[in-house]
Amino acid sequence: MSRTTVDAVGDILDHELVDAEGLPCGMVDDLVLDGRPGGPMAIIALLVGPGAWLPRTMWPLRVVAGLVVGRRRVRVPWTAVESVQEHIVLAGRAADYGLGHTDRRVGRWLARIPGAKRAPE
Amino acid sequence: MSKVLELFLGVLTAMGGFVEIGELTFTTNGGVHFGYSLLWVMLFGTLGIIVFGEMAGRVAAVARQPVFNLIRERAGFNAGLVTLLAANAVTLLTCAAEIGGVALVLQLLVELPYRALVVVGLVALVVVMWLLPFRWIERVFGLGGLMLAVVLPVAWRADIDWSALARGLVPAAPTEGDGSGLLYAYYVVALLSSVLLPYEVYFYAGGAIEDRWTAKDIMLNRVVVIVGFALGGLLGVALMSIGATWFAPRHMDAQLPGTAALAAAATFGKAGLLLMIGGMLFAFAGAAIETALSGAYNVAHFFGWPWGKFRAPAEAPRFTLAWLVITVAAALIVLTGVDPIAVVEYSIVFSVVILPLTYFPLVLVAADRRVMGEHASGRLANVLGVAYLVVVTVAALAAVPLLIATHGGRA
Repeated sequence: MSRTTVDAVGDILDHELVDAEGLPCGMVDDLVLDGRPGGPMAIIALLVGPGAWLPRTMWPLRVVAGLVVGRRRVRVPWTAVESVQEHIVLAGRAADYGLGHTDRRVGRWLARIPGAKRAPE
Repeated sequence: MSKVLELFLGVLTAMGGFVEIGELTFTTNGGVHFGYSLLWVMLFGTLGIIVFGEMAGRVAAVARQPVFNLIRERAGFNAGLVTLLAANAVTLLTCAAEIGGVALVLQLLVELPYRALVVVGLVALVVVMWLLPFRWIERVFGLGGLMLAVVLPVAWRADIDWSALARGLVPAAPTEGDGSGLLYAYYVVALLSSVLLPYEVYFYAGGAIEDRWTAKDIMLNRVVVIVGFALGGLLGVALMSIGATWFAPRHMDAQLPGTAALAAAATFGKAGLLLMIGGMLFAFAGAAIETALSGAYNVAHFFGWPWGKFRAPAEAPRFTLAWLVITVAAALIVLTGVDPIAVVEYSIVFSVVILPLTYFPLVLVAADRRVMGEHASGRLANVLGVAYLVVVTVAALAAVPLLIATHGGRA
Protein backbone atom coordinates (compact mmCIF):
# COMPACT_ATOMS: atom_id res chain seq x y z
CA MET A 1 0.00 0.00 0.00
CA SER A 2 1.16 3.55 -0.60
CA ARG A 3 1.04 5.75 2.46
CA THR A 4 -1.43 8.63 2.66
CA THR A 5 1.03 10.68 4.73
CA VAL A 6 4.78 10.21 4.82
CA ASP A 7 7.31 10.81 7.56
CA ALA A 8 10.47 12.10 5.83
CA VAL A 9 12.80 10.45 8.33
CA GLY A 10 10.77 7.36 9.31
CA ASP A 11 9.46 6.43 5.85
CA ILE A 12 11.98 7.80 3.36
CA LEU A 13 15.49 8.44 4.69
CA ASP A 14 17.61 5.23 4.75
CA HIS A 15 14.94 3.31 2.83
CA GLU A 16 15.63 1.27 -0.29
CA LEU A 17 14.92 2.66 -3.74
CA VAL A 18 13.41 0.30 -6.28
CA ASP A 19 12.95 1.21 -9.93
CA ALA A 20 9.88 0.61 -12.10
CA GLU A 21 11.19 -2.88 -12.99
CA GLY A 22 11.61 -3.85 -9.32
CA LEU A 23 15.40 -3.55 -9.40
CA PRO A 24 17.05 -2.25 -6.19
CA CYS A 25 18.95 0.92 -7.12
CA GLY A 26 20.37 2.32 -3.90
CA MET A 27 19.22 3.75 -0.61
CA VAL A 28 17.91 7.22 0.16
CA ASP A 29 21.17 8.46 1.67
CA ASP A 30 20.04 12.05 2.19
CA LEU A 31 17.19 14.43 1.42
CA VAL A 32 17.01 17.87 -0.14
CA LEU A 33 14.32 19.91 1.59
CA ASP A 34 12.90 23.31 0.73
CA GLY A 35 11.29 25.58 3.27
CA ARG A 36 11.96 28.03 6.02
CA PRO A 37 11.30 28.13 9.77
CA GLY A 38 7.63 28.72 10.45
CA GLY A 39 6.63 27.87 6.87
CA PRO A 40 5.84 24.63 5.07
CA MET A 41 8.70 22.26 4.26
CA ALA A 42 8.79 20.16 1.09
CA ILE A 43 11.03 17.36 -0.17
CA ILE A 44 12.69 18.45 -3.40
CA ALA A 45 14.98 15.51 -4.14
CA LEU A 46 16.51 12.29 -2.85
CA LEU A 47 20.30 11.98 -2.74
CA VAL A 48 21.88 8.60 -3.43
CA GLY A 49 25.48 7.38 -3.37
CA PRO A 50 28.69 7.74 -1.35
CA GLY A 51 28.76 11.52 -1.90
CA ALA A 52 25.48 11.66 0.04
CA TRP A 53 26.24 9.21 2.86
CA LEU A 54 29.90 10.03 3.48
CA PRO A 55 29.13 13.37 5.20
CA ARG A 56 26.86 11.44 7.61
CA THR A 57 29.63 9.09 8.83
CA MET A 58 32.28 9.49 11.51
CA TRP A 59 35.38 11.33 10.25
CA PRO A 60 38.02 8.53 10.16
CA LEU A 61 35.63 6.33 8.23
CA ARG A 62 34.64 9.26 6.02
CA VAL A 63 38.23 9.73 4.88
CA VAL A 64 39.02 6.03 4.35
CA ALA A 65 35.69 5.16 2.71
CA GLY A 66 35.93 8.26 0.51
CA LEU A 67 39.21 6.99 -0.93
CA VAL A 68 37.76 3.52 -1.59
CA VAL A 69 34.26 4.23 -2.92
CA GLY A 70 34.61 7.74 -4.33
CA ARG A 71 32.16 10.60 -3.88
CA ARG A 72 29.62 10.02 -6.62
CA ARG A 73 26.19 11.40 -5.73
CA VAL A 74 22.96 11.12 -7.70
CA ARG A 75 20.07 13.55 -7.26
CA VAL A 76 16.67 11.97 -7.90
CA PRO A 77 13.81 14.50 -8.12
CA TRP A 78 10.93 13.86 -5.72
CA THR A 79 8.59 14.02 -8.70
CA ALA A 80 10.16 10.73 -9.89
CA VAL A 81 8.77 8.89 -6.86
CA GLU A 82 5.82 6.71 -7.85
CA SER A 83 4.91 5.45 -4.38
CA VAL A 84 6.19 5.13 -0.81
CA GLN A 85 5.78 1.60 0.46
CA GLU A 86 8.25 -0.53 2.42
CA HIS A 87 10.53 0.61 -0.41
CA ILE A 88 10.53 3.88 -2.33
CA VAL A 89 9.32 2.99 -5.82
CA LEU A 90 10.49 5.13 -8.75
CA ALA A 91 8.39 5.80 -11.86
CA GLY A 92 11.19 5.06 -14.33
CA ARG A 93 14.19 2.76 -14.76
CA ALA A 94 17.31 3.18 -12.60
CA ALA A 95 19.44 4.27 -15.57
CA ASP A 96 16.97 7.09 -16.38
CA TYR A 97 18.08 8.84 -13.17
CA GLY A 98 21.77 7.91 -13.35
CA LEU A 99 21.37 5.23 -10.69
CA GLY A 100 23.10 1.82 -10.85
CA HIS A 101 26.14 3.28 -12.63
CA THR A 102 28.69 1.20 -10.67
CA ASP A 103 26.65 -1.98 -11.06
CA ARG A 104 26.58 -1.58 -14.84
CA ARG A 105 30.34 -1.00 -14.91
CA VAL A 106 31.16 -4.00 -12.65
CA GLY A 107 28.53 -6.07 -14.49
CA ARG A 108 30.27 -5.53 -17.84
CA TRP A 109 33.53 -6.74 -16.31
CA LEU A 110 31.93 -9.77 -14.66
CA ALA A 111 30.05 -10.69 -17.85
CA ARG A 112 33.36 -11.85 -19.38
CA ILE A 113 33.40 -14.83 -16.98
CA PRO A 114 31.60 -17.93 -18.35
CA GLY A 115 28.15 -18.38 -16.84
CA ALA A 116 27.91 -14.81 -15.52
CA LYS A 117 24.92 -13.95 -17.69
CA ARG A 118 22.95 -17.07 -16.82
CA ALA A 119 20.61 -16.94 -13.83
CA PRO A 120 20.73 -20.30 -12.00
CA GLU A 121 17.47 -22.20 -12.53
CA MET B 1 6.46 -29.27 -5.76
CA SER B 2 3.89 -30.34 -3.19
CA LYS B 3 3.74 -28.32 0.01
CA VAL B 4 4.38 -31.44 2.10
CA LEU B 5 7.62 -32.22 0.27
CA GLU B 6 8.69 -28.58 0.50
CA LEU B 7 8.01 -28.64 4.22
CA PHE B 8 9.86 -31.93 4.70
CA LEU B 9 12.90 -30.70 2.76
CA GLY B 10 12.81 -27.36 4.59
CA VAL B 11 12.84 -29.05 7.99
CA LEU B 12 15.65 -31.44 7.05
CA THR B 13 17.65 -28.59 5.53
CA ALA B 14 17.29 -26.45 8.67
CA MET B 15 18.30 -29.44 10.80
CA GLY B 16 21.29 -30.37 8.65
CA GLY B 17 22.48 -26.77 8.39
CA PHE B 18 22.28 -26.16 12.13
CA VAL B 19 25.67 -27.53 13.17
CA GLU B 20 28.91 -25.90 12.06
CA ILE B 21 32.51 -26.09 13.27
CA GLY B 22 32.05 -23.66 16.18
CA GLU B 23 29.01 -25.39 17.56
CA LEU B 24 30.61 -28.81 17.10
CA THR B 25 33.64 -27.68 19.09
CA PHE B 26 31.85 -25.75 21.84
CA THR B 27 29.05 -28.25 22.48
CA THR B 28 31.35 -31.28 22.55
CA ASN B 29 33.94 -29.54 24.73
CA GLY B 30 31.18 -28.09 26.91
CA GLY B 31 30.19 -31.70 27.61
CA VAL B 32 33.84 -32.65 28.26
CA HIS B 33 34.35 -29.86 30.81
CA PHE B 34 30.94 -29.59 32.44
CA GLY B 35 29.05 -32.82 31.76
CA TYR B 36 25.39 -32.09 31.16
CA SER B 37 25.31 -28.91 33.26
CA LEU B 38 25.35 -26.68 30.11
CA LEU B 39 22.40 -28.48 28.57
CA TRP B 40 20.00 -25.70 29.56
CA VAL B 41 22.09 -23.21 27.53
CA MET B 42 21.70 -25.41 24.46
CA LEU B 43 17.93 -25.54 24.91
CA PHE B 44 17.65 -21.85 25.78
CA GLY B 45 19.77 -20.89 22.74
CA THR B 46 17.76 -23.14 20.43
CA LEU B 47 14.50 -21.52 21.57
CA GLY B 48 16.16 -18.12 20.96
CA ILE B 49 17.18 -18.94 17.38
CA ILE B 50 13.66 -20.25 16.79
CA VAL B 51 12.17 -16.95 18.06
CA PHE B 52 14.49 -14.72 15.98
CA GLY B 53 14.49 -17.03 12.94
CA GLU B 54 10.69 -17.06 12.87
CA MET B 55 10.59 -13.25 13.06
CA ALA B 56 13.22 -12.84 10.32
CA GLY B 57 11.43 -15.29 8.01
CA ARG B 58 8.04 -13.68 8.69
CA VAL B 59 9.31 -10.12 8.04
CA ALA B 60 11.08 -11.31 4.86
CA ALA B 61 7.92 -13.07 3.64
CA VAL B 62 5.44 -10.28 4.45
CA ALA B 63 7.43 -7.05 3.97
CA ARG B 64 10.19 -8.52 1.75
CA GLN B 65 12.62 -6.79 4.07
CA PRO B 66 15.93 -8.54 4.82
CA VAL B 67 17.76 -7.92 8.11
CA PHE B 68 20.22 -5.17 7.11
CA ASN B 69 17.49 -3.21 5.34
CA LEU B 70 15.71 -3.15 8.70
CA ILE B 71 18.81 -2.36 10.73
CA ARG B 72 19.55 0.70 8.60
CA GLU B 73 15.93 1.86 8.55
CA ARG B 74 15.40 1.48 12.28
CA ALA B 75 18.83 2.09 13.83
CA GLY B 76 19.92 4.82 11.41
CA PHE B 77 22.95 5.08 9.16
CA ASN B 78 25.82 5.28 11.66
CA ALA B 79 24.63 2.60 14.12
CA GLY B 80 23.74 0.47 11.09
CA LEU B 81 27.19 0.95 9.55
CA VAL B 82 28.93 -0.04 12.79
CA THR B 83 26.72 -3.15 12.97
CA LEU B 84 27.49 -3.95 9.32
CA LEU B 85 31.26 -3.65 9.83
CA ALA B 86 31.17 -5.75 13.01
CA ALA B 87 28.80 -8.34 11.53
CA ASN B 88 30.88 -8.76 8.40
CA ALA B 89 34.14 -8.97 10.35
CA VAL B 90 32.63 -11.80 12.40
CA THR B 91 31.11 -13.40 9.29
CA LEU B 92 34.52 -13.30 7.57
CA LEU B 93 36.19 -14.95 10.57
CA THR B 94 33.49 -17.62 10.71
CA CYS B 95 33.85 -18.26 6.97
CA ALA B 96 37.64 -18.60 7.47
CA ALA B 97 37.10 -21.10 10.28
CA GLU B 98 34.68 -23.16 8.17
CA ILE B 99 37.09 -23.25 5.19
CA GLY B 100 39.85 -24.33 7.58
CA GLY B 101 37.47 -26.99 8.91
CA VAL B 102 36.76 -28.22 5.37
CA ALA B 103 40.52 -28.56 4.77
CA LEU B 104 40.99 -30.43 8.08
CA VAL B 105 38.21 -32.87 7.18
CA LEU B 106 39.61 -33.35 3.64
CA GLN B 107 42.96 -34.17 5.25
CA LEU B 108 41.30 -37.22 6.81
CA LEU B 109 40.43 -38.45 3.32
CA VAL B 110 43.42 -37.51 1.14
CA GLU B 111 47.11 -37.19 1.80
CA LEU B 112 47.78 -33.63 0.72
CA PRO B 113 49.26 -30.70 2.65
CA TYR B 114 46.75 -28.62 4.66
CA ARG B 115 47.33 -25.43 2.64
CA ALA B 116 46.81 -27.26 -0.67
CA LEU B 117 43.50 -28.54 0.68
CA VAL B 118 42.47 -25.00 1.68
CA VAL B 119 42.99 -23.98 -1.96
CA VAL B 120 41.06 -27.07 -3.17
CA GLY B 121 38.23 -26.20 -0.77
CA LEU B 122 38.22 -22.56 -1.91
CA VAL B 123 38.01 -23.47 -5.60
CA ALA B 124 35.25 -26.03 -4.96
CA LEU B 125 33.21 -23.55 -2.91
CA VAL B 126 33.50 -20.76 -5.49
CA VAL B 127 32.51 -23.12 -8.34
CA VAL B 128 29.51 -24.39 -6.35
CA MET B 129 28.38 -20.85 -5.45
CA TRP B 130 28.81 -19.68 -9.04
CA LEU B 131 26.93 -22.57 -10.64
CA LEU B 132 24.25 -23.77 -8.24
CA PRO B 133 20.98 -21.92 -7.63
CA PHE B 134 20.17 -20.95 -4.06
CA ARG B 135 17.65 -23.74 -3.52
CA TRP B 136 20.15 -26.42 -4.50
CA ILE B 137 22.92 -24.96 -2.38
CA GLU B 138 20.53 -24.99 0.56
CA ARG B 139 19.42 -28.57 -0.06
CA VAL B 140 22.70 -30.22 -1.08
CA PHE B 141 24.56 -28.95 1.97
CA GLY B 142 21.64 -29.08 4.41
CA LEU B 143 20.78 -32.65 3.47
CA GLY B 144 24.47 -33.69 3.27
CA GLY B 145 24.95 -32.27 6.77
CA LEU B 146 22.24 -34.66 7.94
CA MET B 147 24.89 -37.40 7.93
CA LEU B 148 25.86 -35.79 11.26
CA ALA B 149 22.68 -37.38 12.66
CA VAL B 150 24.98 -40.35 13.31
CA VAL B 151 25.78 -38.56 16.59
CA LEU B 152 22.28 -39.44 17.84
CA PRO B 153 22.84 -43.24 17.97
CA VAL B 154 26.47 -42.66 19.07
CA ALA B 155 25.23 -40.64 22.07
CA TRP B 156 22.58 -43.26 22.77
CA ARG B 157 25.15 -46.06 22.79
CA ALA B 158 27.52 -44.08 25.05
CA ASP B 159 25.49 -44.78 28.21
CA ILE B 160 23.63 -41.52 28.76
CA ASP B 161 23.38 -40.59 32.43
CA TRP B 162 19.67 -39.72 32.34
CA SER B 163 19.49 -38.23 35.84
CA ALA B 164 22.48 -35.92 35.15
CA LEU B 165 20.89 -35.05 31.80
CA ALA B 166 17.62 -34.12 33.56
CA ARG B 167 19.51 -31.98 36.09
CA GLY B 168 21.28 -30.23 33.21
CA LEU B 169 17.96 -28.90 31.94
CA VAL B 170 17.83 -26.54 34.94
CA PRO B 171 20.35 -23.66 35.17
CA ALA B 172 22.75 -24.33 38.05
CA ALA B 173 26.32 -23.66 39.12
CA PRO B 174 28.76 -26.25 37.76
CA THR B 175 29.08 -29.38 39.87
CA GLU B 176 31.00 -31.55 37.41
CA GLY B 177 34.14 -31.25 35.34
CA ASP B 178 37.29 -29.30 35.95
CA GLY B 179 36.09 -25.79 35.28
CA SER B 180 36.05 -22.69 37.45
CA GLY B 181 33.00 -20.44 37.72
CA LEU B 182 34.52 -18.03 35.21
CA LEU B 183 35.21 -20.80 32.71
CA TYR B 184 31.63 -22.02 33.15
CA ALA B 185 30.34 -18.48 32.49
CA TYR B 186 32.58 -18.27 29.41
CA TYR B 187 31.14 -21.53 28.09
CA VAL B 188 27.58 -20.31 28.79
CA VAL B 189 28.15 -17.16 26.72
CA ALA B 190 30.11 -18.93 23.95
CA LEU B 191 27.63 -21.78 23.65
CA LEU B 192 24.70 -19.35 23.56
CA SER B 193 26.48 -17.38 20.86
CA SER B 194 27.34 -20.49 18.83
CA VAL B 195 23.65 -21.42 18.71
CA LEU B 196 22.44 -17.84 18.06
CA LEU B 197 25.11 -17.03 15.42
CA PRO B 198 23.68 -13.98 13.61
CA TYR B 199 24.71 -15.11 10.14
CA GLU B 200 22.13 -17.89 10.41
CA VAL B 201 19.37 -15.27 10.65
CA TYR B 202 20.83 -13.06 7.88
CA PHE B 203 21.02 -16.12 5.64
CA TYR B 204 17.58 -17.40 6.58
CA ALA B 205 15.89 -14.04 5.85
CA GLY B 206 17.81 -13.60 2.59
CA GLY B 207 16.89 -17.17 1.67
CA ALA B 208 13.19 -16.55 2.32
CA ILE B 209 13.29 -13.74 -0.27
CA GLU B 210 15.44 -15.84 -2.66
CA ASP B 211 12.78 -18.58 -2.40
CA ARG B 212 10.09 -15.93 -3.12
CA TRP B 213 8.16 -16.55 0.08
CA THR B 214 5.03 -14.46 0.57
CA ALA B 215 2.58 -13.99 3.45
CA LYS B 216 1.08 -17.34 2.39
CA ASP B 217 4.29 -19.05 3.48
CA ILE B 218 4.14 -17.89 7.09
CA MET B 219 3.04 -21.30 8.33
CA LEU B 220 5.80 -22.98 6.29
CA ASN B 221 8.28 -20.57 7.90
CA ARG B 222 6.98 -21.36 11.36
CA VAL B 223 7.13 -25.14 10.96
CA VAL B 224 10.56 -25.10 9.28
CA VAL B 225 12.01 -22.91 12.02
CA ILE B 226 10.44 -24.70 14.97
CA VAL B 227 10.86 -28.32 13.86
CA GLY B 228 14.09 -27.90 11.87
CA PHE B 229 15.95 -25.86 14.48
CA ALA B 230 14.63 -28.01 17.34
CA LEU B 231 15.93 -31.16 15.60
CA GLY B 232 19.22 -29.31 14.93
CA GLY B 233 19.33 -28.50 18.66
CA LEU B 234 18.89 -32.22 19.34
CA LEU B 235 22.12 -32.87 17.40
CA GLY B 236 23.79 -30.32 19.71
CA VAL B 237 22.45 -32.15 22.76
CA ALA B 238 23.83 -35.42 21.37
CA LEU B 239 27.24 -33.82 20.80
CA MET B 240 27.28 -32.51 24.36
CA SER B 241 26.29 -35.94 25.64
CA ILE B 242 29.12 -37.56 23.65
CA GLY B 243 31.49 -35.00 25.17
CA ALA B 244 30.30 -35.91 28.66
CA THR B 245 30.13 -39.70 28.35
CA TRP B 246 32.72 -40.61 25.70
CA PHE B 247 35.42 -37.91 25.58
CA ALA B 248 35.52 -36.83 29.26
CA PRO B 249 36.31 -40.31 30.70
CA ARG B 250 39.15 -40.58 28.16
CA HIS B 251 40.47 -37.11 29.13
CA MET B 252 40.17 -35.92 25.52
CA ASP B 253 39.17 -32.56 24.03
CA ALA B 254 37.45 -32.51 20.64
CA GLN B 255 39.71 -29.72 19.34
CA LEU B 256 40.02 -31.14 15.83
CA PRO B 257 37.35 -32.54 13.50
CA GLY B 258 39.32 -35.80 13.36
CA THR B 259 39.08 -36.15 17.14
CA ALA B 260 35.37 -35.34 17.07
CA ALA B 261 34.89 -38.25 14.64
CA LEU B 262 36.56 -40.75 16.99
CA ALA B 263 33.44 -41.50 19.03
CA ALA B 264 31.47 -42.38 15.88
CA ALA B 265 34.36 -44.54 14.62
CA ALA B 266 34.67 -46.36 17.94
CA THR B 267 30.91 -47.01 18.10
CA PHE B 268 30.04 -47.91 14.50
CA GLY B 269 33.41 -48.64 12.91
CA LYS B 270 34.18 -47.51 9.36
CA ALA B 271 30.54 -46.66 8.56
CA GLY B 272 30.29 -44.38 11.61
CA LEU B 273 33.58 -42.69 10.75
CA LEU B 274 32.58 -42.08 7.12
CA LEU B 275 29.16 -40.71 8.10
CA MET B 276 30.74 -38.34 10.61
CA ILE B 277 33.41 -37.19 8.12
CA GLY B 278 30.81 -36.76 5.35
CA GLY B 279 28.47 -34.90 7.70
CA MET B 280 31.23 -32.54 8.87
CA LEU B 281 32.39 -31.93 5.29
CA PHE B 282 28.91 -30.90 4.12
CA ALA B 283 28.11 -29.00 7.34
CA PHE B 284 31.35 -26.97 7.30
CA ALA B 285 31.25 -26.35 3.53
CA GLY B 286 27.57 -25.35 3.81
CA ALA B 287 28.39 -22.97 6.65
CA ALA B 288 31.29 -21.48 4.61
CA ILE B 289 28.88 -20.79 1.74
CA GLU B 290 26.20 -19.43 4.09
CA THR B 291 28.65 -17.05 5.76
CA ALA B 292 30.06 -15.81 2.44
CA LEU B 293 26.58 -15.24 1.03
CA SER B 294 25.40 -13.68 4.31
CA GLY B 295 28.25 -11.18 4.23
CA ALA B 296 27.32 -10.28 0.64
CA TYR B 297 23.61 -10.04 1.54
CA ASN B 298 24.45 -7.70 4.42
CA VAL B 299 26.41 -5.22 2.30
CA ALA B 300 23.94 -5.36 -0.60
CA HIS B 301 20.95 -4.84 1.69
CA PHE B 302 22.65 -1.98 3.56
CA PHE B 303 23.53 -0.08 0.36
CA GLY B 304 20.53 -1.12 -1.75
CA TRP B 305 22.44 -3.03 -4.46
CA PRO B 306 20.75 -5.60 -6.73
CA TRP B 307 21.34 -8.92 -5.00
CA GLY B 308 20.43 -12.57 -4.88
CA LYS B 309 21.40 -15.91 -6.35
CA PHE B 310 18.14 -15.84 -8.35
CA ARG B 311 19.78 -13.17 -10.54
CA ALA B 312 22.60 -13.92 -12.99
CA PRO B 313 25.99 -12.93 -11.46
CA ALA B 314 26.34 -10.10 -14.00
CA GLU B 315 22.90 -8.75 -13.01
CA ALA B 316 23.85 -8.57 -9.30
CA PRO B 317 27.49 -7.61 -9.90
CA ARG B 318 28.50 -5.97 -6.62
CA PHE B 319 26.71 -8.71 -4.64
CA THR B 320 28.60 -11.36 -6.64
CA LEU B 321 31.87 -9.51 -6.18
CA ALA B 322 31.18 -9.26 -2.42
CA TRP B 323 30.78 -13.02 -1.88
CA LEU B 324 33.81 -13.71 -4.08
CA VAL B 325 35.94 -11.27 -2.06
CA ILE B 326 34.71 -12.65 1.28
CA THR B 327 35.42 -16.27 0.28
CA VAL B 328 38.90 -15.50 -1.05
CA ALA B 329 39.75 -13.28 1.96
CA ALA B 330 38.57 -16.01 4.35
CA ALA B 331 40.79 -18.57 2.59
CA LEU B 332 43.74 -16.17 2.75
CA ILE B 333 43.23 -15.83 6.53
CA VAL B 334 43.43 -19.63 6.88
CA LEU B 335 46.43 -19.82 4.53
CA THR B 336 48.43 -17.68 7.00
CA GLY B 337 48.51 -20.83 9.13
CA VAL B 338 46.23 -19.56 11.89
CA ASP B 339 44.42 -22.34 13.77
CA PRO B 340 40.81 -22.50 12.47
CA ILE B 341 39.52 -23.62 15.88
CA ALA B 342 41.11 -20.54 17.51
CA VAL B 343 39.53 -18.38 14.77
CA VAL B 344 36.11 -19.88 15.39
CA GLU B 345 36.39 -19.30 19.15
CA TYR B 346 37.11 -15.60 18.63
CA SER B 347 34.43 -15.26 15.95
CA ILE B 348 31.84 -16.83 18.25
CA VAL B 349 32.68 -14.63 21.21
CA PHE B 350 32.67 -11.47 19.08
CA SER B 351 29.41 -12.60 17.44
CA VAL B 352 27.60 -12.25 20.73
CA VAL B 353 28.59 -8.57 20.87
CA ILE B 354 26.60 -7.81 17.70
CA LEU B 355 23.57 -9.92 18.62
CA PRO B 356 21.61 -7.07 20.31
CA LEU B 357 22.31 -4.70 17.38
CA THR B 358 21.07 -7.34 14.95
CA TYR B 359 17.98 -8.50 16.78
CA PHE B 360 16.67 -5.18 18.19
CA PRO B 361 15.46 -3.77 14.82
CA LEU B 362 14.07 -7.20 13.92
CA VAL B 363 11.91 -7.37 17.06
CA LEU B 364 10.71 -3.78 16.41
CA VAL B 365 9.70 -4.36 12.79
CA ALA B 366 8.14 -7.78 13.39
CA ALA B 367 5.83 -6.10 15.93
CA ASP B 368 5.06 -3.05 13.75
CA ARG B 369 1.44 -3.34 12.52
CA ARG B 370 1.99 -0.61 9.92
CA VAL B 371 4.58 -2.79 8.19
CA MET B 372 3.37 -6.29 9.08
CA GLY B 373 -0.41 -5.73 9.22
CA GLU B 374 -2.23 -8.77 10.58
CA HIS B 375 1.06 -10.72 10.60
CA ALA B 376 2.67 -8.53 13.28
CA SER B 377 4.10 -10.39 16.29
CA GLY B 378 1.58 -11.53 18.86
CA ARG B 379 2.02 -11.22 22.60
CA LEU B 380 4.07 -14.44 22.94
CA ALA B 381 6.53 -13.51 20.17
CA ASN B 382 6.90 -9.99 21.61
CA VAL B 383 7.53 -11.21 25.16
CA LEU B 384 10.03 -13.84 23.99
CA GLY B 385 11.71 -11.38 21.62
CA VAL B 386 12.22 -8.75 24.34
CA ALA B 387 13.30 -11.35 26.94
CA TYR B 388 15.95 -12.74 24.57
CA LEU B 389 17.09 -9.21 23.72
CA VAL B 390 17.76 -8.59 27.43
CA VAL B 391 19.66 -11.89 27.72
CA VAL B 392 21.81 -11.34 24.60
CA THR B 393 22.58 -7.79 25.76
CA VAL B 394 23.86 -9.10 29.12
CA ALA B 395 25.83 -11.81 27.26
CA ALA B 396 27.25 -9.18 24.88
CA LEU B 397 28.50 -7.07 27.78
CA ALA B 398 30.08 -10.09 29.50
CA ALA B 399 31.62 -11.75 26.41
CA VAL B 400 34.90 -9.89 25.96
CA PRO B 401 35.76 -9.61 29.72
CA LEU B 402 35.17 -13.38 30.02
CA LEU B 403 37.32 -14.08 26.95
CA ILE B 404 40.17 -12.12 28.57
CA ALA B 405 39.66 -13.48 32.11
CA THR B 406 39.67 -17.12 30.95
CA HIS B 407 42.47 -16.68 28.39
CA GLY B 408 40.12 -17.67 25.59
CA GLY B 409 38.46 -20.50 27.53
CA ARG B 410 41.72 -22.07 28.68
CA ALA B 411 41.65 -20.87 32.32
